Amino acid sequence: MFADFGNSAIYLALAATLYSIVVMGIAQWVPSISPQTQRKLISSGRNAAISVFPLLILTCIILVLALINDDYSINYVRQVTSRATPIQFKISSLWGGQAGSLLLWNVFLAGFLAAAWISKKEERDLIPYAVIIGGLTQTYFLYLSAFPENPFAPAASIALDGNGLSPLLRHPLMIIHPPMLYLGYTGFVVPYCFAMAALLAGRLDDSWIRTTRRWTLTAWLFLSLGLILGGRWAYDVLGWGGYWEWDPVENVAFLPWLTGTAFLHSVMIQEKRGMFKVWNVILILTTYLSVIYGTFIVRTGLLSSVHAFAQSDIQWGFLAFVGFMLLFSIVVAIWRAPELRSENYLESLLSREAAFLANNFIILAITVIIFLFTNFALMSEWITCSALFSSRFECQSYGVGPDTYNRALGPLFAGLLLLMGVAPLTMWYKTSIGRLGKQSLWPAVAATVFGIVLFIGGMRRIGAIIGLWVVAFSMLLTLLEYVRGAHARVKSKQEGWFIALGKLFQRNQRRYGGYLIHLGVLVMAAGIIGTEFFQMEHQVFLNTGERASLGNYTIEYLGTTFLQSDDTSSAMGTVAVYDETGAFLTNLQPHTDIFDNGQGMTIPDARSTIAEDFYVILVNWENISENSATIRMYLNPLIQWVWFGGVIFIVGTLVAAWPDPLDEKIAAAERRVALATINNR
Amino acid sequence: MADSTWTRNDRDTLQPAPRKKWQFLLAAALLLAAVVFVAFNALNAGGTQLYLTVDEYFEKEADLEDRDLRVAGWVIGDSIEFTQIDAENSTLTFDIVDDLNNPTQRLTIYAENEPKPDLLQHEAQALVEGRAGESGMFISNPGGLLLKCPTRYEEADGSADY
Repeated sequence: MFADFGNSAIYLALAATLYSIVVMGIAQWVPSISPQTQRKLISSGRNAAISVFPLLILTCIILVLALINDDYSINYVRQVTSRATPIQFKISSLWGGQAGSLLLWNVFLAGFLAAAWISKKEERDLIPYAVIIGGLTQTYFLYLSAFPENPFAPAASIALDGNGLSPLLRHPLMIIHPPMLYLGYTGFVVPYCFAMAALLAGRLDDSWIRTTRRWTLTAWLFLSLGLILGGRWAYDVLGWGGYWEWDPVENVAFLPWLTGTAFLHSVMIQEKRGMFKVWNVILILTTYLSVIYGTFIVRTGLLSSVHAFAQSDIQWGFLAFVGFMLLFSIVVAIWRAPELRSENYLESLLSREAAFLANNFIILAITVIIFLFTNFALMSEWITCSALFSSRFECQSYGVGPDTYNRALGPLFAGLLLLMGVAPLTMWYKTSIGRLGKQSLWPAVAATVFGIVLFIGGMRRIGAIIGLWVVAFSMLLTLLEYVRGAHARVKSKQEGWFIALGKLFQRNQRRYGGYLIHLGVLVMAAGIIGTEFFQMEHQVFLNTGERASLGNYTIEYLGTTFLQSDDTSSAMGTVAVYDETGAFLTNLQPHTDIFDNGQGMTIPDARSTIAEDFYVILVNWENISENSATIRMYLNPLIQWVWFGGVIFIVGTLVAAWPDPLDEKIAAAERRVALATINNR
Repeated sequence: MADSTWTRNDRDTLQPAPRKKWQFLLAAALLLAAVVFVAFNALNAGGTQLYLTVDEYFEKEADLEDRDLRVAGWVIGDSIEFTQIDAENSTLTFDIVDDLNNPTQRLTIYAENEPKPDLLQHEAQALVEGRAGESGMFISNPGGLLLKCPTRYEEADGSADY
């Protein structure tokens, strides 16, 4: 029963999407229809496109009901749940497998598109094209959900119980991490739709950028949240003391974030100076293709990853879809390129435009390197095994490890961090070296003193000292921007410092929210430098009462207790932690949970301070007893800065994305001008 | 991020500044050269790993000495062995194959002082970074045991794929 209802809803959603594309196509491209008929068709197509969202919500509800009610006649339900699975995890197993994840992807995409069609109904000239572009993306993914990856496909045999959800997914962060990523991915489809619509409609002003700026920021916010939560989940659950491993699945989620970041900076040059119009189209196109590519890599299992996604046969269809959208976008962009000429020119290398350009260049370089390294194994195999090179090279596949990524990207990220501090000091058109030097002199001196103190304090890793110098320098410059802005208000408006700072955000939330994002990234960078350069680890076997040390910490093994719940048996070790003086700090209780299906999950415990985490896991759960255990200890300097910086980053993005009345007025005015221009043609 | 004040009073008034074009081109060329240098330097210093399946490993074993390798295979559950030698030293060994249903050759993975990963169990897919040891033995790098993390745990088809 669930399967019948679910399939009907998916098929209806697919039919509504196809209908909206056809109707919008007729309304736009059939010349003989009257304006009245055209309006009716556009309205009908828009409504059909909006109706996809409730239909897919209904599909999800039906699938969740099937999961909760243990309907093992459905293959997907059998794969991802069992009767013993707690109800919250039965619900989250909606995205615990390939078919469910793709369905959720579809729901979020339909939601974003419906919200765009509802909120931007005044964009009458763009909506038909945007609906068609969005509909093409939705059609492909709905086709996947309706046919090759149907979540309601029947099970091959009758079963009384299911496989159950992987233990590693039974974690609160894993309940929200995948949806955040999907929201980030699908949100980027909206600005792409409007960009393509603007090109097709000949609306080549900045209004598509203003129309989609908040959509872009929203998608970027969700993608950022997804990346940060994924890292935190790895740190809390996977028990290897880290949060990022340059794994292909991590990398492909990072790529659209990078190009989206470049786009968010680059559009400011178009808004201010009418420059980089083609570049902005390329960036949003690249971001959209990165989203599709990321989904392709994750869903087809084409690249060898630590993340176990089911291998799938949908790769050729995916490739065909990516190829079609790439070709279509390039053709449209080339067609309109002559009309997208810059209205101005770069005046000076020392200008805000040049700083933004350098920012884009570095981000693009990082993107290209990550893309090439991620696909290195595939490309090396294609090249060495191709007919052209097979006589010169042995057919082999080569990969790139985390060390190579860090070596290549470390200097580029340092350059980006430096720009974060320096770029806000630059002016549009031209900045004098004297002004730049004057504003950055004292922060540079203070950062240098900080670096010398680190060296005198015993730090000998030159890479870390340079990295922390850059972080300190840029952080001081960014904080000084707030101080300067608030000070100007204190003097001119006679306001108190806190009120002046609040007004600063209120009057220019985009700028000061942006600086907050920069501060968040700098704080995270300090944490990453700390853990990358100075992480320590030690594994040791201890009997009850025995001690072992790592850094300034000493642990004493106190014993292991065994616990049993409905579907889990746990072994919980207890260690007392002492500081270098021998003073007791705390007890830590790392544990191992074994689930009914035999799968285990090692959960670390940590003593966290702003300076470092002392992180402990219980190793080799099979051999532990009440009187002895193997313990692995990690010392992760500054790791909390990564998470704290993430919070600042998210708050900054919320501030920058919050609706700005002035921006709305400008967008409305631009729309009126553009529509008048089109009507007068 | 910059401010949102709406000013575009310079449109149509600025002229190209051709004499400065070479400066921008030079800056762009320098940046590009720096990026290419950084990427190639990283590839030289960090190196590349040769990806192999178990059968490929045995085929090329004679030429694999001192090379940075990554092998992929499926874990044979009953071969997993964790040995605590003394307080400071432990070993973990297990065998991997290319095809669980039709195993031809078994490669023994050897790791020192590594925790036993939660996912190290029968039929798990292992990606192991390390180097060739004595015949039929592969020595894992510290932290080089990568077991497939079931972010989306589903039944796999039981064959390694490179």
